[in-house]
Order: sequence, then C-alpha cells, then structure tokens
Amino acid sequence: MRKNFLIACSNLRRAKGQTVTIAALILLSSCMLNLWLMLATDYKQNFDRYHEKLNAEHVTLVLTGEDEKMREFVAGILEADSRTEQYSIEDAMAMVGSFTYGGGEINSELVILEKQAALSRTLGMVEIVEEGEDTSGIYIPMLYGMGDGHKTGEMMEITIGSEAFAYKVCGLSNSIMAGSHNCSMALLLLTEDKYRELEESGAAPGAILVSVRLWDRNEGEDFEAMLKNAVSAQYPQARTLSNSYHDVSTSRYISQMICSGILSAAAFLVLMIALVVIASNVADYIQENMKKLGALKAVGYTSGQLILALQVQFVGIAAITSAAGAALSYGLFPSINEMMISQTGIPYLMRFLPLPFLVTVCLENGAVALAVWLSSRRIGKIEPIVALRQGMQTHSFRRNHVPLAVTRIPLQIALALKTTLGALKQNVTICITMLVLSLVVVFAGVMVENIIVDTQPFIDLIVGETADACINVNTEREADFLQLAGEDDRVQKVYLYNSAEVRHVGGIALIATMSEDFSQINNPDVCFAGRFPIYDNEIAVAAKYAREKGLKIGDEITLTAGGGEAVFIISGFTQISNNLGKDCLLTRSGYERMDSLMHESYYINLAEGVDIDAFNDETGSRLGDGVNAVINIRAVIEGTSRVYISMMKYIVAVVLILSVVVVAFVLFLLVRTTLGNKKLDYGILKALGFTTGQLILQTAASFMPAVILSTAAGLTVSAFVINPLTALFLSGIGIVKCTFAVPVGFVAAAGCGLVLFAFAVSCLLSLKIRKIAPRNLLVGE
Amino acid sequence: MREILLKTESLSKSFSSGGVMQHVLKNIDLELYKGDFTVIMGASGAGKSTLLYALSGMDTPSLGKICFGDRIISDLKQDELAVFRRRSCGFVFQQIYLIEGMSVMDNVLAAGLLTARDKKALTHRAEELFEKVGISEEARKKFPSQISGGEAQRVGIVRALINSPQVLFADEPTGALNSRTGLEVLDTLTEFHQSGQSIVMVTHDMRSARRGNRILYLKDGAVMGECNLGAYQHGDQERHEKLSGFLAEMGW
Repeated sequence: MRKNFLIACSNLRRAKGQTVTIAALILLSSCMLNLWLMLATDYKQNFDRYHEKLNAEHVTLVLTGEDEKMREFVAGILEADSRTEQYSIEDAMAMVGSFTYGGGEINSELVILEKQAALSRTLGMVEIVEEGEDTSGIYIPMLYGMGDGHKTGEMMEITIGSEAFAYKVCGLSNSIMAGSHNCSMALLLLTEDKYRELEESGAAPGAILVSVRLWDRNEGEDFEAMLKNAVSAQYPQARTLSNSYHDVSTSRYISQMICSGILSAAAFLVLMIALVVIASNVADYIQENMKKLGALKAVGYTSGQLILALQVQFVGIAAITSAAGAALSYGLFPSINEMMISQTGIPYLMRFLPLPFLVTVCLENGAVALAVWLSSRRIGKIEPIVALRQGMQTHSFRRNHVPLAVTRIPLQIALALKTTLGALKQNVTICITMLVLSLVVVFAGVMVENIIVDTQPFIDLIVGETADACINVNTEREADFLQLAGEDDRVQKVYLYNSAEVRHVGGIALIATMSEDFSQINNPDVCFAGRFPIYDNEIAVAAKYAREKGLKIGDEITLTAGGGEAVFIISGFTQISNNLGKDCLLTRSGYERMDSLMHESYYINLAEGVDIDAFNDETGSRLGDGVNAVINIRAVIEGTSRVYISMMKYIVAVVLILSVVVVAFVLFLLVRTTLGNKKLDYGILKALGFTTGQLILQTAASFMPAVILSTAAGLTVSAFVINPLTALFLSGIGIVKCTFAVPVGFVAAAGCGLVLFAFAVSCLLSLKIRKIAPRNLLVGE
Repeated sequence: MREILLKTESLSKSFSSGGVMQHVLKNIDLELYKGDFTVIMGASGAGKSTLLYALSGMDTPSLGKICFGDRIISDLKQDELAVFRRRSCGFVFQQIYLIEGMSVMDNVLAAGLLTARDKKALTHRAEELFEKVGISEEARKKFPSQISGGEAQRVGIVRALINSPQVLFADEPTGALNSRTGLEVLDTLTEFHQSGQSIVMVTHDMRSARRGNRILYLKDGAVMGECNLGAYQHGDQERHEKLSGFLAEMGW
C-alpha cells in the first residue's frame, strides 16, 4: 500500500495543474450535488415537519354561508367517514382579494380569521413568526413579508371583494395549508376590532372553515373531492374553496423543484465532464508512462497494484475535494434558502445534514473510482516487453491522415488536422464537454428569451390565459356590463373566461374554465392537442389528468356540477399549470347543461396606454354591487413573475459562468496534455523553421474541429430537445408540451462565442510553446 | 579566394548551472567556407554541439557575432531565426527526431512546404532525394517507428535537404546507429557533399571525421586547431594518417 501511495504522490507532484483542474471540477459538482440533495430531501421534508408541528389538516374546505345546518351537515359527513382522524369547523370570512406584492399585485382567495381564534386552534395551528408592537391591524402570511414585501409596522392596502381596506401590519404568520396564494387560499389574521369592522362592512361574506386531518394523508385528494361533491350537491349556491395535502405540498415547492432540478442537472453534467477528463488523463498517463509501467511490471508489480496506485491518486483527490465541495455548499445555502423561503413561505433552519453529505462524497468517489477502473483496465493487457518498447507494436494499422503530398489544405491547417485526427480521446473529451455546454447555452438562451426579455411565453405556459383586466359580475348585471364594455372605446376585446369547479364522475374535482367562444382568447396554446370545445357537448381536458386516467381525444366523460350531470366528448388536451394539471375547458352552454352561473368573470383587453386600475375602479363604481371583484391581471402577473425572473437571471448567470469555467478547465487539461505529448515534436518543428506563433495556432486549431462540430451539433440537437426537456422538467405541474421560442440569434452568437472563447483559451494556454527551444534537442556532449 | 559561408567573431556562450556560470564557448573567431565538409571534433563537453546550434541559429550566443553571408544572425529575434533556419539550413540530429505522428513522406514535406510554393515540384524533389538515399516507395508511406534506424536517419537527411539549404548541419548523425547503417549514412552525406552541398558536422568518431575536408578541434570551448584533409577518397591512407596525426597532436 505504501508503494502505491508513493507512486500516487509522485504522479500528483508531476501533474499539479491536472490535479488542480480535476479537483476544481469535483469541488464544483459536489457542491451542487449536495445543494441539490439538501433541497430535494430535507427541504421538501421541511413541509412535513411543519405540517406535523402545527398539527395541520390534510384537507381544507371553505364554504360561504353561516347556516348552522350547514355546519351540522358537514360534521355529519366527517363523523361518518372512517378516514377522518380529527376535524374542526370554525367561523371565518372568505372573499377574493388583492394586494401589492413583489412590485406587482397578488390576487388570491382570502380566508380571514380573528387572530385569537386562529391562535387557539388545535388543528391547523397558526404560528406567529414575527410580531410588532401594534395591537390593531393584520397578520399576513410570512411569504408577503419577505425581502421587499410588507414590513411589520407599515400600512398595507387590501382590496377585499370590491372594497379597499387599509391595515397596519402587526406581524407575520405561518399557516402550512393557507400560507400563500399558491395554496388556493391565503390566510389573513385580523385583530378582533378589525375583524368586527370587516364583518360589519359586508365586503367579505361569512364562511365556515373546515379542517380535516386524515388517518392516511394520501387519501387527501379523494377526500377533498368527496367532501366538495357532497357539499355542492346539498348547497349548490354556496361558494367553496378547498385544498389538499398533496396539492399544497406540491404547489408551495414548485420553485424548490425547479431550482433543485437545475442544480441536479448541472451537478451531474459537471461530474460527467470531470469523469471524462479523468478517464482521458488516465489513458494519457498510460501512454506516456508505458515504459515506466513496463519496467514496474518487469520488476514484479502486478496490474492490480498499478491500477490501485491510480485509484489512490484520483480517488484521493476526489475524497478531499468532494468533502470540501459539500462543505462549501453550506456557505452558499443561506442565499439559496432565502430565495426559496421567499417562494415557499415556510421557514427553514439550516443545519448539517449527514446523509446528503455522505451520499455526495460516496457518489463522487464511487464515480471517480469507476472512471479510473474503466480507463485503467488496459494496464492489465500491457506486456512488459511491449511497454519497454514504448508501446510500439511490430505491426501498425495507423492511417496517415491528411497526406501532405495530396491534400489541398494549407500546411498549418493540415498539420493541425493531423493532430486532431490522431487524438481520439482528446476529441471525445471535447465533444462530450461541448455537447453538454451547448445544451446549457440553449437552455440559457431560451430562458433569456422567454422569461427575462419577454415574460409572455413563460406566463402563457404557467398561467395559461392572460389579459389586462378581469371583472367578475353578478349574472343579473352581466348584460349591463357587456353593454358598458361595448360602448367603451378603451375596451378592445371582452370575453367570458370564468372558472368553476366540476367533478369528473369516477375521477376527481376539476377546475372548469368556460368561454362562449374560445377563438377569442389570447393564448391559443392553452389547448395544445386537438381543439378547443366548440359545441356544448365538448370538453378539453388537462393532458396530465387525461394521461393519469387513460383518456383519449374522442372519449366520453361524465361531469357533475351543482347537482346536474352531463356527458362530454373530449375534443382536445390542455395544460394550465395553475391547477397542477387538474382542469378542463367547457363552453358556457356546456357548463349550463349541468348548472347555471351566478356570477361571471370577463377578461378584458384594453387599448395601449389605458390605466388598468382606473378602468377597473370606474367600471366597479358604475356597476356598484353588480361587481364582485376587479383584478388588474397585468399587475398580478408582474408581481408573480418578478420572483421567477430574478431567480432565472441568477440561474442563467450561474450556468453561463459555469460553462465558461468548465470550457477553460477542460481545455487547460487538454492543451497541457498535448504540449506534454508533443514537446519533442514542437522542438523538431521549431528546428525545421516553424515559428512559435505558427505552432500556437496549430495547437489551438487542432481542438477546433471537435469544438466546432460538437458545438454546432449540440446547439442544433439542443434547440430541438430543449422544449421536450423543459416540458418533462415541468411535468409535475401539469405541463406536457412546451413551445418556447429558441432564440436562434442568441444561440448562434453564444455558440460562436463559445467556439471563439475555446480558441482564445487554447491559444493562451499554448503560449507555453514559447518556452520550447530547439536547443532542448541537443543531446549532452 | 574561397567564399565565406559562416563567420563568427568573439563568439561566447555561457550557461548558469546551479548558480555557477559555465563558459561553454570562449571567444571563438571562425570562418566556414561554402562547399566545405567541415567537421567539428572534440572530447565530450568541449562545446561542439553548442557551437553547431549557435552557428545554425538554433541557439543565440551570449556574446559575439555570427554572420551568415552578409547577414548578422546573432541579432535576429526567435521568429526571424525560425525563418532563417527554414530557408538556409538543414539539420540532421543524432537522435533522428522524425515526427512519429506523420508518415515518412509527410515528415519531409512538412519541412519543405514551409518554403515551397510548388507542391508538385517539392514532391518530385522529395522523391528524387528518397531515391538517392535508397528509401523505397513503400517505406515512404510508413511511420518512423516502422522503419529501421539507418533508414530513419537517411529520411532525416532528406528532410534536411528538401529546402536545398545553403548548409547542412549534422549533430553526431551516426551516434545512434550501428556501424553498418552509420556507414550508409556517412556515404550519403559524402555523396551530397561531393555534389556541392556545404556540410558542418559534429562528431567524436574518427571514422566519420575522415569524410570531412576540414577538421576543427574544440577543447574547453575554444578552437584549438584545424586540419585540412582535402577531398575525400575512399581508402586514402595518407589522409587517414594525416587526421590521426592531427588528433594525436590535439591530445585526442
């Protein structure tokens, strides 16, 4: 063992640059791997920890109305169901509301509780995570107090229904199942005086908040559907809001899922590059040290001992640097944690996690050991006598690439090509590196084009349909509203885009969005396969749900709503991630086959430059009680997307910097190896009259065919696979098909930049050729 | 009056080794003539190869001047020296130094294409030279490791001569060869000299030195003496005795 250790130490001393580069790649990949594992395992479990800590419910149902019989009815259902472990039914208020957040506006279903009543809950407990000195005002979910959100002690304005209320922020709260708009409902706590004031104003109707804890949390979705169905059948006029454990745990962790997905992909890509570099180095080492290996074998070393020495060398580097990389991730975690909390709205206390640390170190070391073993097995086949002849075989089947006598290629390029074609390992390393980085460049380009520069494609994908404003009117004032809108020059387009809940018989509850004419909507990509429903017996179903249920276009499904039932033919598939793939599209007349509408949401496109808030206020005041809610959709989207945009900017910057660093590292190793292998050749060529500049260009040019071809191939392939990959990546939130535009200009420019950068780095690294003097060929006199 | 090909004035070369300066060449004043087969002899460490590399522009002197015709090459920059070497000099090394990744033909053409404009003419010249030194067509397609040492050195000579250099420098060209193949190489060099090629050769082998018409003897970095033998003729005993006498005088 000591002998192996000495051989490994000697190798490390002679290859400091190579050691540093491999160490840097492993450090980088283990840092990202550990971050990913922390996010994917413990960070996700944090939801469950808080869920248990706050004895949170698995199903939440909010039902407008204060009828005592309604309570008894719900209690009867819960008592009778054996799945119920614990439940509570409390007084609350519920209404659609909006407030400013993240530079835009958040529009959400609001559930309003009196503070003391909320704090005394034993099921679905609410935690105060920050409290100021004020005793009269509001406690908001901590998500809205993060970063540049609402600060404790400051005033904030909330529009509840169509009325605006100003409250002093008394503190921040944490409710697991109603902690953000992503949970389908956001819980606001009002101090007693403010609660009474709101109650008296009548802006938010009274409601009952039903919280149910189940014996088996996996039953949450079915239980939610059953409960809603039963309540809707009994109280068709009541407005219901609901969520379940699975939906909330998924929707609150979408950012964490995206971030950990990108980290895992980047970690494995960098690790793969590190492994290719290690394998290439081992192969070069064997080639360069053939004589030495032969001599060692001749004096009695076994192949196993020689391979073990290489394992000691590379696994030694990996052991130290993977541990260091995993440790480094703890230094980076606070900033990622802050970004994540601003998305999940659930506090997370960083602590040392031994399991991800161990997995990271073991995975990195295992992968390195495997790469070394696979690339060093050749040592076993080396015969001492062949090795001592510097690996020369008596027969050679090498080809003379680019014969100078016949080629028309200029000399310098021909010589560079000879080097290229004679270095298979080098080309494989370059190709893998550039293919991977091309995918990264295309990903960055797509994100820049579709999220950072123009947010609309991202919004279209995630939100589905958008317009400038949304106004929800009572059915009896619908005709007045449409007449008003028709006469208003500021209105370019107004169309019904209303959502209501329906239940798929034999399935679950779905959010049905209805319109009178789907050809009017702004985002035709919502229905990506088949077509929108045109007739009242047609339906377009979320692709994710259809896949889960094995539904195909042309199939019939039965829906119920408000006690009515109707059969629909599937005309197309949709993807609207807001509902996590549990939605469908119906025509208005189609929905009315089951139930009539009490109120309708209309989406409105306004002329350029129209003040959306002023338009909403004016319409609201002209229709008075006929308007239930007005929403500035643009402001809501701006607020929601801002966080995604800043996160994406950060990710794009990191992946591009990583690409540049990885290219530089890999080329450093390759140039170094080339210079080492061809030192004598360069001396000879210099003696023959080649200048240093010619040799530097020759060296750099020898990498270029592989760089250019693999970059071009990588960019082309990536341009085609990026959308399916992104869709796969977002499949968890119901995205099946992605149609992001690939910015050809950006990708081509980035590809050229990558190639030029690779050429420049190769030239810079080849400057060492200056030090090779023909005098070195002089044999001692 | 003989035409001077190379001339040195107070040529000195020093190296620092372990903090101690070693003066390898000391104030050498020398003239080498066109058409000569000049042999530089001396014991190991006398400075023979250092002198050869300085004369050929592969190394720069520490002090003094080297003129090639009317051009001072000791003042040239590295890239200018490279251009000078490709146009005016040919080299034959003791260790042969063919490039392993190129075929025999490509080893020669890589040097030739640096200056040649007409590839066809260059290829034709390469073939002529190969023919002359006895390298078969089949061998020309092989890689250096697939031919014998003697063949490889003769390829080295072809490569050195492909650009029709004004002078051919040879550093112990038979040092790495057995006596038979060494003799073949010497015959080749003699043949080229007899056809007008100027040659400067370093050797410590008397059998090789006999091929030259002018012998310079180096000792401790200085030219101790010279001997003019006249044109080489196979089996010329008088010439052999003259060289032996000179070397004995130099303390060989």
